[in-house]
Amino acid sequence: MQNSSRLALYHYWVAFAAFLPAIVLGAWQMLMRSPLPAPLDDPNAYYTSVTLHGTAMAYVVTTFFAIGFGYAVTATSLGRPVRGVAAAWIGFVICLIGTVMAVVIVVSGRATVLYTFYPPLLGSAWYYLGVLLLVGGSMIWVVLMIYNMAAWKRDNPGQPVPLAMFAITATALLWAWAASGVIVELLGVVLPRALGLSTQIDAALARTLFSVTLHSIVYFWLMPAYIAFYTLVPQAAGGRLYSDTMGRLTFIMFLVFSVPVGMHHLFADPEYGAGLKFIQSFLTFFVALPTLLTVFSICASLEIAGRARGGRGLLGWIAALPWKEPMVLAVALSLVMLGLGGFGGLINMSYAMNSMIHNTSWVTAHFHLIFGGAVVIMYFAVAYEMWPRITGKPLRSKALARWQLWLWFWGMMIATIPWHITGLMGQPRRVAVFDYSDPFVARMAPLVIISVIGGAILLVSTILLIVILVRSQLGERRLEAALRYALAVNPPKTVPASLNGFALWNTILLVLMVFAYGYPIGQFFILKSKVPAYELVRPSNTAGAR
Amino acid sequence: MMARDQGTFKPHNPWPKFGWGMLAATIVVTAVLGLGILSRSQQNAPTLDLWSAICRGLGIGADTGPATEPEPPLRAPTRIAWTTSTLDQIAAGDAQHGAFIAMNCTACHGQGGVSASTLIPTLAGMDAAVIYKQLDDYRSGKRLWGVMGAIAQALSVQDSADVAAYFAAHPDGLPPLRGYRVPESGRSLRESDPAKRLVYAGDPQRGIPPCSACHGPGGFKLGAPALQKQQAAYIERQLGEFAQGIRQNDIFEQMRVIARQLTPEEMHVLAAFYGKPGDTKSAMVLGSP
Repeated sequence: MQNSSRLALYHYWVAFAAFLPAIVLGAWQMLMRSPLPAPLDDPNAYYTSVTLHGTAMAYVVTTFFAIGFGYAVTATSLGRPVRGVAAAWIGFVICLIGTVMAVVIVVSGRATVLYTFYPPLLGSAWYYLGVLLLVGGSMIWVVLMIYNMAAWKRDNPGQPVPLAMFAITATALLWAWAASGVIVELLGVVLPRALGLSTQIDAALARTLFSVTLHSIVYFWLMPAYIAFYTLVPQAAGGRLYSDTMGRLTFIMFLVFSVPVGMHHLFADPEYGAGLKFIQSFLTFFVALPTLLTVFSICASLEIAGRARGGRGLLGWIAALPWKEPMVLAVALSLVMLGLGGFGGLINMSYAMNSMIHNTSWVTAHFHLIFGGAVVIMYFAVAYEMWPRITGKPLRSKALARWQLWLWFWGMMIATIPWHITGLMGQPRRVAVFDYSDPFVARMAPLVIISVIGGAILLVSTILLIVILVRSQLGERRLEAALRYALAVNPPKTVPASLNGFALWNTILLVLMVFAYGYPIGQFFILKSKVPAYELVRPSNTAGAR
Repeated sequence: MMARDQGTFKPHNPWPKFGWGMLAATIVVTAVLGLGILSRSQQNAPTLDLWSAICRGLGIGADTGPATEPEPPLRAPTRIAWTTSTLDQIAAGDAQHGAFIAMNCTACHGQGGVSASTLIPTLAGMDAAVIYKQLDDYRSGKRLWGVMGAIAQALSVQDSADVAAYFAAHPDGLPPLRGYRVPESGRSLRESDPAKRLVYAGDPQRGIPPCSACHGPGGFKLGAPALQKQQAAYIERQLGEFAQGIRQNDIFEQMRVIARQLTPEEMHVLAAFYGKPGDTKSAMVLGSP
């Protein structure tokens, strides 16, 4: 096995190994919130579990998956081994150490602060250090992606960078921009207090910094799925990509538009004026553009494939698509969930409508449908596509893979649609126990029970996923064709320099960030907004030394 | 990569022209809409001039600006607010000097602050901020009880911080506060034991939050005493006094609101739950001897 392939495989295994226990926790959390009896009914255990579930899903699974995907894409799309493999392994080890540190501290109950940290809540400094190592270690990957793309451009002057490589570099840059918020928050605000260097904490500044990360991290999760949409789906369907330029534009727009919008998570926060909130709310609507562009391109690419396979008529091409391919099935299910979740998202980001659903289970439903549904189902499809290429061992059964995808789809729909409704009824998120004897809460009970069933289906689907991957890994070695990316209908011979690199777009993003976040962050250097921290771990009172 | 992309900044190239143009348009449109139009005319407020509108849009109003620490109003339940200066004052407590002052407390609160009487609270191991606040409340007459007012008036602010530091660091009293513990079943609304249910889950229908959220085990709130291993009869009496409004020094009336909702039986079982001398599992987790 090539070194770059092994790199990808190790990252995938860590991602999916963290995925299964995190799903078990998620299913238990749903049981805990429901009227049904749950084992270990302790609200504190619930919040510990939410912290673990969030940290695992938001930081561990996604970061490891994206990194592994990045190395695989670099090696296959450029057709040469990844440069800087030693640094990549060092990064892997750093990320792994950070993960273990964070998980151990959360399990021991000393950092029940949820993955968003929520200062002035304060947990053990070791938890924050663990997260910092995980996020910081991934920056090695960011540098390697940029380095590999730059090296290829140097060796192939004037050639267009392959779309997959261009897109994964956009992902890496987006992650660097996104992570800057949480890194500055940890280093500048949270860790000094957690280490006891200060007595107070600027919660509002910390929230503002985290909001830089809060939404763009979601697009970091999303990007591997979109890369699969553009480069793997048309190939799996037996067709061609509708437009290479549209792909490049999509990834550039994601880079530019997904960072200066995080304040739409803080519409109910008092620390900014309404005008600033409106500006970021407005900017958020631009994020819909690349998604709409993608839906159009992918449907067009699938139509090309369907017609090439003999589909006729207005909709006949849909039936002609190779639905037995997990990748094709996954993209259809993904687009359904993306559509439903996306329209929910338009409500979240609208300044006025947000107040209807702020902090209700509607929000939980939204991001589970978009991320847990539309994105993660593409992660599965990518795994099914890449596993055989990396290990040389094909999937034992594509039918089982299709079952897994269908179960995931239905599990996610059954879990999240009731959440949307209970959210509109006013059920708060992140609450451990509900008093279902209260008439106001009682009418939510049937819906909550339905969502628990969805959670159980998701658990079954996850177990099936691990079974499929392990069966493939343990199987006999058979050579498979190398991974190939979809060609565009008109493959690019040359592209403008602006669509072949990111210098221009990073500069534009910088200006946009200064515009959107300059004052909101700057104001804290004038305002006095520090508050006492709400410590989860309290240092013992020694005389005069607190 | 950067070197080859230099051409992308030349304004005659179409993509830079497009990118910068869109950026400028976006900034102008959002700024005009957000800081100008939206902030100028709000439904329930008078239309502002442009400058005031921009200030409102940015969140600069007459009532904001650099935060000041206001003096607590006269009818406040306490003079203590958890500001930086208060915390610094408490942190500056000198336990050695505190030990000297604490000799005056021994007669009632027991040797080293470990009370032998069921109606007098144990002070050893109590959080310094709690002791400091209660002493200040006694001093200012916000909390009334027998000789405590006179005793507190004899102490300076620094004396209070010193004696608080002494008792907080003194061993063998209340178990040290830790914000975490091993999860345990039976800590939800499904629990049948009323004391355990109130402590860990509260009662949402009556608006009672779980006691443990502030008083432990597991939770901690600045200024709220840890109750585990405290004298049961003392706890029960305090609940009764809060319920009847005799004791009024709780910030935001939190304890008065809660205690009014409790029945006498509930007060009794809650006091018994916390007062049990360390035989609950939680107390063992909390590291009691």
